Amino acid sequence: MIALFKRREPVAPLEYTRRWSMRLWVIAVTFFLYAPLVTLVAFSFNDSRRNIVWQGFTFKYYERALNNSSLMEALVNSLTIAALATVASIILGAMSAVMLWRFRFPFKGAAEGAMALPIVVPEICMGVAMLVFFAKIGFPTDLPWPLNLGAITIAHITFCFPFVTMVVRSRLTSFNREEEEAAKDLGASEFQAFRDVLLPHMKPGLIAGGLLAFTLSLDDFVITFFTSGPNTITFPVKVYSMVRFSVTPEVNAASAIVIALTIILTTIALKMQSKMGGIAQQGH
Amino acid sequence: MNTFEFLGQSRQNRRSILQGLGVAAVGISFGGLTACGDSGGGTASTGEEATLNFYNWDTYIGETTLEDFAESSGITVNMSLFATNDELFAKLRAGNAGYDVIVPSNDFVERMIQSDLLEELDHALIPNITNIDPTFIEVPYDMGRKFSMPYTWLALGIGYRKSAMKGPIDSWKPLFDSNEYAGKIALLSEAGDIIRLGAKYLGHSVNDITPDIIAEVEAMMIKQKPFIRTFHEDNGQDLLLSGEVDLVLEYNGDIAQIMTEDDDIDFVIPKEGSQLNSDNLCIPKGAPHPLNAHAFINNLLDAEVGKKITEAILYPTPNAAAKALMPPEYANNPVIFPPADRMAICEYAAFNETLQPLYETAFTRIRAA
Amino acid sequence: MENWKSAKAMFAAVAAVPTFWLTFFFIIPLGIVWLYSFGTNTSLTEIEISGTFSNYARALDPLYLGILWKSILVAAATTVICIVVGFPVALAITFASDKWKPWLLLGIMLPFWTNLLIRTYALMAVLRREGYANQSLGWLHDNLGSLLPFIGLPAPGAYEPMELLYNNFAVIFGLVYVHLPFMVLPLYAALDRLDKSLIEASLDLGAGHFRTMLTIVAPLAAPGIISGIIITFVPALGAYLTPDLLGGPDSQMIANVIERQFKRANDWPFGAALSFILMYATFIAIAFQAMKSRQAEARQ
Repeated sequence: MIALFKRREPVAPLEYTRRWSMRLWVIAVTFFLYAPLVTLVAFSFNDSRRNIVWQGFTFKYYERALNNSSLMEALVNSLTIAALATVASIILGAMSAVMLWRFRFPFKGAAEGAMALPIVVPEICMGVAMLVFFAKIGFPTDLPWPLNLGAITIAHITFCFPFVTMVVRSRLTSFNREEEEAAKDLGASEFQAFRDVLLPHMKPGLIAGGLLAFTLSLDDFVITFFTSGPNTITFPVKVYSMVRFSVTPEVNAASAIVIALTIILTTIALKMQSKMGGIAQQGH
Repeated sequence: MNTFEFLGQSRQNRRSILQGLGVAAVGISFGGLTACGDSGGGTASTGEEATLNFYNWDTYIGETTLEDFAESSGITVNMSLFATNDELFAKLRAGNAGYDVIVPSNDFVERMIQSDLLEELDHALIPNITNIDPTFIEVPYDMGRKFSMPYTWLALGIGYRKSAMKGPIDSWKPLFDSNEYAGKIALLSEAGDIIRLGAKYLGHSVNDITPDIIAEVEAMMIKQKPFIRTFHEDNGQDLLLSGEVDLVLEYNGDIAQIMTEDDDIDFVIPKEGSQLNSDNLCIPKGAPHPLNAHAFINNLLDAEVGKKITEAILYPTPNAAAKALMPPEYANNPVIFPPADRMAICEYAAFNETLQPLYETAFTRIRAA
Repeated sequence: MENWKSAKAMFAAVAAVPTFWLTFFFIIPLGIVWLYSFGTNTSLTEIEISGTFSNYARALDPLYLGILWKSILVAAATTVICIVVGFPVALAITFASDKWKPWLLLGIMLPFWTNLLIRTYALMAVLRREGYANQSLGWLHDNLGSLLPFIGLPAPGAYEPMELLYNNFAVIFGLVYVHLPFMVLPLYAALDRLDKSLIEASLDLGAGHFRTMLTIVAPLAAPGIISGIIITFVPALGAYLTPDLLGGPDSQMIANVIERQFKRANDWPFGAALSFILMYATFIAIAFQAMKSRQAEARQ
């Protein structure tokens, strides 16, 4: 019994995460973040047309959600756009972060300002701007899937990659350029130095930025609404349009499915990573 | 190799796996959807491509209406969604992105006619117009139905919880001008409706408003604001149902829907009169499939199809033939079809280009006060 | 920092695509709207760019400036709360064992892959008068209250539900809820590469943990903190869905007003003018950050 309460080893000064005060804080924050989600999932089993009062347990909304082809199509569209936008944002964000961090060039101040603009612009202003722009250049609206998501994806990349830039750039300020110079002294080309020295240092920034971009894209409503065409339903637009008639538990069920899918996918990814990481360690 | 290099490496692996999974997911869905994306190739009997782009409110159609139409005419309908009239207008004013049929409300039909955004309808292609109740043909916002066909109609009024009321509710006063139900009131977050109904309460017609009246209503609302719980975005029926408020300014159709779930709810059109709304079917200029659009509108006005739609959404219908097919609980429901004396004091709100911005500024001031 | 001329190929490689993209897909569309802000509505759908400043004059009216100021206060409060709540979380993730780190990161991000509208509705279900917060508090109040007579205190009256929704408290609560990961992620990215020996040294020299955080960790992680602040403050300032759904009659933020101009009022020039005033105001903060980070880089 005492063994339960005895620490295995004393807590080192720097092991903040093992302190009870920190753990309590993280648990409290987790509760705060997840409590509404738990109610959301709980209400997806609610046997009522509306999400207000509990009227009984049922699976029927999961059936309806999975059979609702427009809801599923909307989900797939949103996930596709988010995936494409994240990948492109990470690339563009990394490039612009390096450009701003490493080089002095004329009009750099203007470039930095321009890079920050997409974060500052009110979404509706940007939505209207993209609407008018695509209308004026005559962007085609009847392309087959997934090209018809082109306008939306372009808009998403545009407002996502500055966030990545910002995160990666703050990460780059802690980079020691001597490491890069050492690599070049040892014979690496400019590109090799970039790939093998700079890129690994940027990785946490790229991951954080990529996660941010994915979140922003998946959840965006305003800009998506203004850039979507007749054939492109996306999930946030569909959910928002249900406001007039109240959100049915069907939408909760669909969200619960998305959450479950995300958890499963990333669990698989993490499990594979720890296996591969183990092999890599053995290789040393 | 210290911990941090290891993490860097494992992150690389994880990242590429996540990327790989993402690409796989996209690939799978691509493959899956090209099968379903292969919709309606070929030509319809109208001679156009057999598809139709329908821009509608969510759940504002029958459960099988689109499939039935596809079966009977061979035209596949793609339904996209919008949530408010302003969004519809904002999207269309930059140019039609390929929509064939849209569903604006009456004041926006006027706005679009004035902006030259709508196609004239060819009545010869819409024989089912005879199903419409004659009172809905000569309407102030589109005389003779040149540009629109009615889809549903609504009346604004007060939804309330019977057990929480201190007396009979028959006037706008508890909502606009009294602290009797302080903290238990919710109003619609719509500048035009609030100003017009406030004016109606003060005894003016909704189409007879001057800037002085706007100022009067604004002052009254600012005085009333401390007693209002919230301005809702057309989900007032949820607030009433959950007990958050006891009085809401809402549409009769929305209240009728929640009355099926709670007997303690009722609805009334106040004695000072109220506003009528109507959602209409229109064809925007530049629609790629105008003939299909006419055929679709005609189909929606059919009695049997109209009945199925009404069963699904339970809103008042202007389609007399469809109404005749509905069960008596619907046709005789005093909330869905208010008594004639109340209907007589309701008016359609006309769209007024000069007054609309004044309403918006007044509302901004009310909310900032 | 080197001059671009010293590594032209590299510079071209990293600068070409982002610059083109930003110019073509952002500056140009925004430029069109900027031109609109100098225009007037000639009809319901046409805007004539007449070079007038009347929209800006109208936007500088005390009514709108007051709303802008209020929005800044709300966004600032949100940011401060996010820092206070998020810094320990970022610290905990940084110092977590390698086994737990990815899970904690995922745990922070996961709620934010749910749709904002649904999450807000779920928050409303928790905060409203008969929602779970009040229900649990009411249960506690009633049950614990019934125990009070045993210690000689009078039993409390019936539970009055707390007004947690449709006021500014709910708006700030909702904004913190939405923007927390936008603060945690940059903080984590900055803290991660911190030299831990510096903290050890500080503790060895006798400083307490709190003081170490303030005087050693915070300045070193400053770029991350500042980018976290900007990524939280600016979107919070421009938020309109959360105040719309969770706010009371007077919880109107500047983005709500701008939205109204583009939608219901159909007054695009005025909406454009308001948007640009908002942007000019926040731009100063960005310029400040750029200056600070250039100072930090110059120091290296």
